[in-house]
Amino acid sequence: MALLQIAEPGQSPKPHQRRLAVGIDLGTTNSLVAAVRSGLAEPLPDAEGRVILPSAVRYHADRVEVGQAAKAAAASDPLNTVLSVKRLMGRGVEDVSHLGEHLPYRFVEGESHMPFIQTVQGPKSPVEVSAEILRVLRERAEATLGGELVGAVITVPAYFDDAQRQATKDAARLAGLNVLRLLNEPTAAAVAYGLDQQAEGVVAIYDLGGGTFDISILRLTRGVFEVLATGGDSALGGDDFDHAVAAWIIDQAGLSRDLDPAAQRQLLQAACAAKEALTNADSVEVVHGDWRGTLSRDIFDALIEPMLARSLKACRRAVRDAGIELEEVEAVVMVGGSTRVPRVREAVGELFGRTPLTDIDPDQVVAIGAAIQADTLAGNKRGAGDELLLLDVIPLSLGLETMGGLMEKIIPRNTTIPVARAQDFTTYKDGQTAMMIHVLQGERELVSDCRSLARFELRGIPPMVAGAAKIRVTFQVDADGLLSVSARELSSGVEASIQVKPSYGLTDGEIARMLQDSFQHAGGDKAARALREQQVEAQRLLEAVQSALDADGERLLGEDERLAILAAMDELRALAAGEDAHAIERQIKRLTQITDAFAARRMDASIKAALAGRRLNELEE
Amino acid sequence: MGSPCHFALFGLQPDFRVDLAQLAARYRELAKAVHPDRFAHASEREQRLALEQSAQLNEAYQTLRSAPRRALYLLSLSGEALPLEATVQDPEFLLQQMHWREELEELQDSADLDGVAAFKQRLKGAQNELDERFAECWNDPARREEAERLVRRMQFLDKLAHEVRILEERLDD
Repeated sequence: MALLQIAEPGQSPKPHQRRLAVGIDLGTTNSLVAAVRSGLAEPLPDAEGRVILPSAVRYHADRVEVGQAAKAAAASDPLNTVLSVKRLMGRGVEDVSHLGEHLPYRFVEGESHMPFIQTVQGPKSPVEVSAEILRVLRERAEATLGGELVGAVITVPAYFDDAQRQATKDAARLAGLNVLRLLNEPTAAAVAYGLDQQAEGVVAIYDLGGGTFDISILRLTRGVFEVLATGGDSALGGDDFDHAVAAWIIDQAGLSRDLDPAAQRQLLQAACAAKEALTNADSVEVVHGDWRGTLSRDIFDALIEPMLARSLKACRRAVRDAGIELEEVEAVVMVGGSTRVPRVREAVGELFGRTPLTDIDPDQVVAIGAAIQADTLAGNKRGAGDELLLLDVIPLSLGLETMGGLMEKIIPRNTTIPVARAQDFTTYKDGQTAMMIHVLQGERELVSDCRSLARFELRGIPPMVAGAAKIRVTFQVDADGLLSVSARELSSGVEASIQVKPSYGLTDGEIARMLQDSFQHAGGDKAARALREQQVEAQRLLEAVQSALDADGERLLGEDERLAILAAMDELRALAAGEDAHAIERQIKRLTQITDAFAARRMDASIKAALAGRRLNELEE
Repeated sequence: MGSPCHFALFGLQPDFRVDLAQLAARYRELAKAVHPDRFAHASEREQRLALEQSAQLNEAYQTLRSAPRRALYLLSLSGEALPLEATVQDPEFLLQQMHWREELEELQDSADLDGVAAFKQRLKGAQNELDERFAECWNDPARREEAERLVRRMQFLDKLAHEVRILEERLDD
């Protein structure tokens, strides 16, 4: 393992030193980690030179195996080997049974509604399984890059809802990763392509992966990637093609649909192999047990037609949502392994009336884009003038349950994030003192057709006649696409708020236990870990304040203010060299408070500068 | 104090006529300055400020780029905020509304895609005409009532345009 680097007290690390940050594509079938090295974004290989890590996790009694070896054991040890865990992220037990397939696991219910998989190591949540994959990628990156990571950008399907995003972030936390940003996969692909080809104008990204489908329409203008609309299906992908082929084999071979887990895995492997062979061949021999048959590309194309049609419909909707016509799309980019299927390429080409771009390996393009964004977020400046900015949107409308079981939309889909929006509600009974806030996500009018994200109560409303109270509910979605909701009764100021902990997420208790387990697993102890975390946080803050001082200290601060900040920094530096985690934490808070006004002034100044710069340009033009 | 004026944020004087290309360009410049991605490595306080500023900027941009929302915002700047669902004292337009709706229902029943396209075209024309009329009168206190009536018409047509989109989606099945 690489040794941690510690600078001499009072000295920040050399300014030219690159901060190590990676992009991770946590895929349904395969995962990758990529980083910018010597100006070039590329996937990082493992010790054997392989860049792709199959998203397969096998639990042994005393250890965990991730990747190729685990995938190979899927048929022989189906109950302890988890494949395509991404399809289970942020889903409830009942959703899982609706995924339209038989999963060979034994599910048990945890404290939360999340389905846990029973393994030889006990019940494992999808979040923990994903964390195992992320941990392997983190270790690979640290070994290759030779240092500790500042953070990671982790990609998610654009169509992931709040619960699925939160689950992904929880998994990263368990794996010991600092998440710089959750980035939508198609947007990441657009970054990889856009920068590569200096593209301008409207592009469509068609991203069909193992288990999810996304379509995003973006406008590229001088380094700004503006998502106009996004759509998709978080349960549609190459896995479904495999299931369709498997069902065809069952029909042809006259097999029973009730297969044991091992036979089911074998069947799916045969189906997947046949699908892949059809990329370059017109027909393929399929062998399953005693049965032998021929699958032609025509039959295969017919089998996947319904799924393909669903994806094309989503494309048309996204184009409408973007407020443009199909002809205005200037380039179509293919992302995800399933876009290797010839019929998929052909159908997408027909829809948009142009040949889709496939220059960058569709399995790697997302990780490469994420690495570029991670490098930017970590503070490694790119050349002046070609700053990169990604403006993304929420994929699904957010709203509240109102009287009669109806969904009232507060933030419509395809709204640019970050966004904050408030709406006022009132009581419907005289003397009503509490109100249930039920947060929903989806497009349908009936609550029962939408996804329930969270419920919380606002209590202590002063008794008034019906309709007199004024309750303001504020929705805020951050740049990761994560929602928080607060509610306030305006006349009394009674307040209730929650960081939306999705109904299908892990409870805080479950996360605490898992973190505890992972410390024990890593052989460390909790106190040492807590100290280390505070030290890292202190370092991060010190660097942030120092660079703010360097940039604007003279201009925006009085001498007294500047000296006070410097003194607080010295104190924090001294504490961070010691071992009192609480004292470090307190001083971090103090320094944050002291720099409060400075931060606000800097923000104002940067807005003014942006406007002034604009006007100057216009004068020149 | 409340949030600053949406127009001022973009360095513009309040007006209904807005150069949308220029607005978009300024939006991108401002977004570059305040987006949380610019502060991923800054202190927590700066990150929170960036989040708030960006949300405010996005809200301002969404308001100004949409004609009905911009119109409503202008009226709220120069007087009482308009009640959302006021009784419409506009019999002439009420009649027209009924015609529009009947037509849309017929299009749905006949699943006539060309008809929908033509309907959209006419709707767009009606919207442009309203925009022109509003631009003429919004700043004249004596014509406030007329301006309010026009905003309500704009809102109705906006809702209708949304319904057309839903219809298109349904016909796409």
